[in-house]
Amino acid sequence: MPEDKTIRLKIKRQDQPDSKAYWEEFDLPHKPRANVISCLMDIQMNPVTRQEKTVTPVVWESNCLEEVCGSCTMIINGKVRQACTALIDALPQPIVLEPLTKFPIVRDLQVDRTRMFENLKKVKAWIHIDGTYNIGEGPVIPEKQRAKAYLLSECMTCGCCLEACPQFTKNNNFVGASTISQVRLFNMHPTGAMESEERLETIMGDGGIADCGNAQVCVEVCPKKIPLTESIAEIGRETTLQLLKNLFLK
Amino acid sequence: MPKRKPQFIVIGGGLAGLAATMKLCEDKARVTLVSYQPVKRSHSVCAQGGINAAIDTKGEGDSPETHFYDTVKGGDFLAHQPLVRDMCHQAPAIVHLMDRLGVAFNRTPEGHLEFRRFGGTLFSRTAFAGATTGQQLLYALDEQVRRYEHDGQVQKLEWHEYLSAILDSQGVCRGAVLHDLHTGEIFSAKGDAVILATGGPAQVYGKTTGSTVCNGVATTAAYLQGAKYANGEFIQVHPTAIPGQDKLRLMSESARGEGGRIWVPRKKNDDRDPLTIPESERYYFLEENHPRFGNLVPRDVASREIHDVVYNKELGVEGQPMVYLDLTHQSEEFLEHRLGGILDIYAKFTGDNPKKVPMKIFPAVHYSMGGIWTDYESNGSGLIDHQSPRNQMTSIQGLYAAGECDYQFHGANRLGANSLLSCIYTGLMMGPGLIQYSRNLNSHFEDVPSSVFDQARDQWQGRMQSFKQMKGPENPYVLHQELGDILLANVLIVRENSKLEKALTQISDLEIRFKNVQCLDTTHWSNPAPSMIQQLFCQIQLAKIITQGALVRNEFRGAHYKPEYDLNQPKDFDPHEYVEYIEKKQYGEVLESEFPSGHTAYMKRYEECNEQWLKTTIAKHNNNQPEISFEEVNTSLVQPRPRKYD
Amino acid sequence: MGSITKGQAHFLLLKIHSLTGLVPIGLFLTFHLLVNSLRTVGVLPYQWSIDVINNLPFLIWIEIFFIYIPLLFHSFMGFYITQVAKMNAIRYRYPRNWMYVMQRLTGAVVFVFLIYHMGTTVVPKIWNGHHLFEAAPFLIEVMNQEFATWTGRIIYLVGILSATFHFANGLWAFCISWGIIIGPRAQRNASIVFMLFGGVLTVLGFATVLEFSLHPVDVEPTLKGAF
Repeated sequence: MPEDKTIRLKIKRQDQPDSKAYWEEFDLPHKPRANVISCLMDIQMNPVTRQEKTVTPVVWESNCLEEVCGSCTMIINGKVRQACTALIDALPQPIVLEPLTKFPIVRDLQVDRTRMFENLKKVKAWIHIDGTYNIGEGPVIPEKQRAKAYLLSECMTCGCCLEACPQFTKNNNFVGASTISQVRLFNMHPTGAMESEERLETIMGDGGIADCGNAQVCVEVCPKKIPLTESIAEIGRETTLQLLKNLFLK
Repeated sequence: MPKRKPQFIVIGGGLAGLAATMKLCEDKARVTLVSYQPVKRSHSVCAQGGINAAIDTKGEGDSPETHFYDTVKGGDFLAHQPLVRDMCHQAPAIVHLMDRLGVAFNRTPEGHLEFRRFGGTLFSRTAFAGATTGQQLLYALDEQVRRYEHDGQVQKLEWHEYLSAILDSQGVCRGAVLHDLHTGEIFSAKGDAVILATGGPAQVYGKTTGSTVCNGVATTAAYLQGAKYANGEFIQVHPTAIPGQDKLRLMSESARGEGGRIWVPRKKNDDRDPLTIPESERYYFLEENHPRFGNLVPRDVASREIHDVVYNKELGVEGQPMVYLDLTHQSEEFLEHRLGGILDIYAKFTGDNPKKVPMKIFPAVHYSMGGIWTDYESNGSGLIDHQSPRNQMTSIQGLYAAGECDYQFHGANRLGANSLLSCIYTGLMMGPGLIQYSRNLNSHFEDVPSSVFDQARDQWQGRMQSFKQMKGPENPYVLHQELGDILLANVLIVRENSKLEKALTQISDLEIRFKNVQCLDTTHWSNPAPSMIQQLFCQIQLAKIITQGALVRNEFRGAHYKPEYDLNQPKDFDPHEYVEYIEKKQYGEVLESEFPSGHTAYMKRYEECNEQWLKTTIAKHNNNQPEISFEEVNTSLVQPRPRKYD
Repeated sequence: MGSITKGQAHFLLLKIHSLTGLVPIGLFLTFHLLVNSLRTVGVLPYQWSIDVINNLPFLIWIEIFFIYIPLLFHSFMGFYITQVAKMNAIRYRYPRNWMYVMQRLTGAVVFVFLIYHMGTTVVPKIWNGHHLFEAAPFLIEVMNQEFATWTGRIIYLVGILSATFHFANGLWAFCISWGIIIGPRAQRNASIVFMLFGGVLTVLGFATVLEFSLHPVDVEPTLKGAF
């Protein structure tokens, strides 16, 4: 088989959260329009390493395979991204797959991103409605404002921005760009704004906005191109005003 | 004594599961929400185009009644009419509710909801949020459920798998056996009722537009426990998908809604750059064959037309089973604004810019109209009694279903942007009935002997352990792929009985090989291998339901197309003739001469066909085979008539 | 205001860190470089400026409260922030990420430089009692000696450049974290403006170094025995 018709995958594996990581290499036949996920699926069908050793299939997390669910985030050739959009033909070989480093490992390429969802709880990332009963239309919202909110609400809690953030580590409790951006999203909604002060007070606490170091890697790696740094600056303004309000008006 | 709080177990965290959870929590119930993964990642995020509600903001004269008619007509009259009618009447309230929850629906210049056109209707009825309406709706519900989780009313069991319902000695569902996908622990959970909101079965077909979790396993498990499975053979093939190795990504119908045109070169194997092919040498087959609906014919019609052009006329692009979906005549700003996200997907997965070159697309398995059988109670005036505990209950008492995994709303074919509606509608609608069900129970799960729960758990522990010990030569993933290939080759757009019989044989061969499967991983932590085998087992059963149903149903209805049973509608036929024909029939025999030539004969054929086949297919598990029977469809509100999309 | 939680204290400390970088430290840096650049005009105006400063009432207290405490606070908070982070500019090579690394690096360089700078100027000045009009001749002599060797010049060039970069880039970060500039374009434009400003400060500093190096002149106290 000619060299260019084979794909080599180098995968960092780990059996358990506290066990030692190890590397395995797989050679796979090249297929048109293949991506990292389809290669991992091929491994499932033939879990044999380059050294002809039969191993357990690689465990990873994926669902929609269209880059809207956020599941398959991993580190591919050194950078964080979704595996489903990582087209094989666009990647230099060997293709190196590693799990995210800022979240606890579950197994192989699968990590536990509970921290992100807990942060959404912390900042009350929802709109508190009176009830689901039919009480008529929602608020009138200018299309421009809606378009801005839409950009923010495309966040799929994938964790790219946090993985790439030098300020977000396993040992601290920084909430990171995605959560700050969600605070902005809900604060800009006419109904959500009614709880904006509570959200701001939370984000002005431990692990909140002040921990941002303006490295701005978040916005570079965001697969949805969410204006995260703009959100951070906007929440910077809102928290500054809240601080002044707390100091001089209360 | 404090009042007992109803407790429910919801399986699946997509739109239906989250809507049901939200509604139940609002009524002070406690909910255990079970999902393979964080619910925010559920398959609902994939829905792009929008959600239908006849709010008629553009003075087109749309109304819920028209929406109702379009839906039952789109479904070839196989859907129970009071349910569909109720859904369409609730639709405006649902869209307004979602708007209040913060969904970033596109707006008009005045700041009100914007609506666009979609397939199968002539009205602007589809509300949409950019290119990711499903994602936006799901997030809004996810946020509400997170609020209830924050308040302690919801317990989320993410990374858990539903294995089966727990039935007491009377056959009443009292809980569920669950599988912790990290620790591998198998345990039983108790509840007043279990709600399956587990989505579609796309994975049975292997490569589809479905997500990896759309495996149809939970409903099949219910079927194996004795629940009825309905209309399994009605599988929607979406006409426009992007080819891929791991999945077929959807190209939303909204691409056609915003003016996208489908065509192929008139010349076979024309290898010119599509942009250099002059208009006169392009075959816009949908527009030519359906001048009124054009590119917006329903999905079954579009898929069949593409199938015909590609396989019978051999006009596929580059000789492949592909056609062009062309948006290049629209301005880039317009496309960016209206379809930005959708077109990005195409660019991302193919490397081509659809604003500059026509997209290459082909049909892919997309949606199951069928699913687990569920009940409903009409209120006598053509709508649903929302307080009835019968609503959405499966044939197992206490086991409910909602969303794509039920069968009731789309008949033989679903219209675009109705799925998001039916998911949210069922989730919300069933809430009051569930509360009633819990209140009406004479004995609760607390009164059921613990041996019932322990036995169910032990049985599954044994079963999963036995899967783990399988050491045969067959790779389950390979078997799964082969299963999908069998169905794709034989049970797709065009169905022939010989092929269906062949498929059944192949499936039973596969079932034999299944016994020689190898469990590829026998470790104890976060090991997907035993689950995979269990899922494969269920999918083989489900494949039998689908194929057997397709084999038995000898007619052409909606997505189920059997050419040999095509009634050959005369080209100049007007569906209203049939209504007239039925009226006239009440006064005696209708003469051949009263309608244009050939029409009466056709209508007679149609009437006979409906007599025999306008019925719900019911599959019951019996002796390892689906036993097929038929049930009446409620067509009490609108006279079924031949479909025509000219 | 009621009692402050740990989280709020954390927030306030970081906010104060950000603020002290501008007021008073940044302001002082600008003033310092500006006043020192008088040396390029002539040694006399330069000496007068030192005289004015050293004849200020409560000088030591002004220095302690408006320079030393804020500076120490800013430095230690800076080290704390750097220590809890995990830099990754090798992996994610984006300009802003390099600036982020440089901000922390220059902060550390400035800290070391200041120890040297103060250890050779302010500390011996006070220790040896060169007050009021006696300060200028002493300090100018120290500087002449520093800039007589390339080692001294390089130490100062690096120190000045680090300080001006840290201030200019810090100003940009200040504007974002206090929400003064928001949009991506505003952020980019502001970054250009602040870098230009930093460039001007650098030129002032370098010109002063150049003048000292080329024309070392020793001076006598403006008023002998005035105290």
